Amino acid sequence: MRPTDRSYLESHEWAQLDGDIVTVGITDFAVEQLGELVYLDLPAVGTDVSTGQGFGEVESVKAVSDMNSPVDGEVIAVNSDLTDNLDTLQNHPLNAGWLIKVKVASADALHGLLDAAAYEQIVASQS
Amino acid sequence: MATETQPILNTPLLASHEQLGAKLVPFAGWRMPLDYGSILGESRAVRSGAGVFDVSHMARFLFRGPDVAAQLDHALGGSILDQPVGKARYTMILQEDGGILDDLITYRTAADEIFMVVNASNRHRDWDLLMERLPAVECADLTEDGGGILALQGPDSKRILAELSGVSDFCPEFLDLGELPSEWGDLFIARTGYTGEHGYEIFVSAEQIVPVWSKLLALGAAPVGLGARDVLRLEAALPLYGHEIHETITPFDVNLRFAIKGWKTRTFIGGDALRAIKDVERELIGFTATQRVPREGYPVFCDGAEVGVICSGVFSATLEHPIATALVKKGCEGSFTVDFRGKQLPVERTATPFVPHRSRA
Repeated sequence: MRPTDRSYLESHEWAQLDGDIVTVGITDFAVEQLGELVYLDLPAVGTDVSTGQGFGEVESVKAVSDMNSPVDGEVIAVNSDLTDNLDTLQNHPLNAGWLIKVKVASADALHGLLDAAAYEQIVASQS
Repeated sequence: MATETQPILNTPLLASHEQLGAKLVPFAGWRMPLDYGSILGESRAVRSGAGVFDVSHMARFLFRGPDVAAQLDHALGGSILDQPVGKARYTMILQEDGGILDDLITYRTAADEIFMVVNASNRHRDWDLLMERLPAVECADLTEDGGGILALQGPDSKRILAELSGVSDFCPEFLDLGELPSEWGDLFIARTGYTGEHGYEIFVSAEQIVPVWSKLLALGAAPVGLGARDVLRLEAALPLYGHEIHETITPFDVNLRFAIKGWKTRTFIGGDALRAIKDVERELIGFTATQRVPREGYPVFCDGAEVGVICSGVFSATLEHPIATALVKKGCEGSFTVDFRGKQLPVERTATPFVPHRSRA
């Protein structure tokens, strides 16, 4: 089972709330499905993101994929080292490979997202 | 094309692929290995040493009869009548209007016998069409006979084949074919491939396929999946049906005149239409990009005007940057850009093949 300290999207992003900051990444399953990563496009600090909308793109040898924001808010930090160190995202997508931090308005910003158990079922159905 | 009513076909090497940790994917009605963990690593293994691909999904046809060469010479785009026994030849099946239905290789195994390999995705259509075009020839579709094709490719392939058989320098020239004695009986081998490297395609029976595959791995060939096959063929700028070639593209558009040898004078299906073409309006060109991969279908612009479309794009394992082919309006000179999902980014026109061929070396 994946970490229970965060929420998940059906489109294979994860979101972890700490105060009014949500850290966003993509799951190990997403990375495994993509295969070897070759390019990552992340937004600039200060960009507004909205729930269900693309905030960046990740590209592998096989495919290019949008990454969707789990929340509404403003990007306050970007893991910009990743774009030149795709291995970090490839190998540690659930921790060191986090993508952006978003400042959210409400403490229940993750309400309605999948918990780890529900996400596990999504993964099982797609494996 | 596979439909829901057709069961998925398995290569005789399925168990071996599973054991090797392959990611298996549906491909043209077959379950085939996409990779064994690393598309880029497998691509590099072929360029630096040797790799072996299971391409048993490719369709194998056999044609026999006293008139076989003459009939195929008419049915196909390329000249078959002058194809020597013991040689392979790359050619295509054309529509009446000169559009490309498929590309293929013919193997002249005897004066009255021709073996053919066509794309898996076109197997049934090609077969039906050839049945119509070859009324007086004995034909067999051998694709599901339990055997298959092992493509041994890379600079080290020569050594591996010699150690496999004890015979050195078999098939000394590109496109040679012959029967190689081995402990599993004679192996039908052609000096052909889809990587641009020195290599062989080994046609194996149901009894031979598992032990020969295992022996090739034991002798140092890396198992290589279809993902790396696509990278390698694009680095070598070898066309793929559905991408660089299809029904609305003629051999002239994509610089494949060599595949329709004798087109000016021969009588063959598609020949009249090709001879009537006055101006070729498109050309197939290569691009390199710096970061993002220009992928199939992305629009191509020259000095801001849309001039064509990307046919294939991959991240080149050998060159370590993206490469692509594009079909564009002929004669464009200027700055090329590609629309990467809404973002216009520059690409650089590049001579092809992106990686030089060593298949004749």
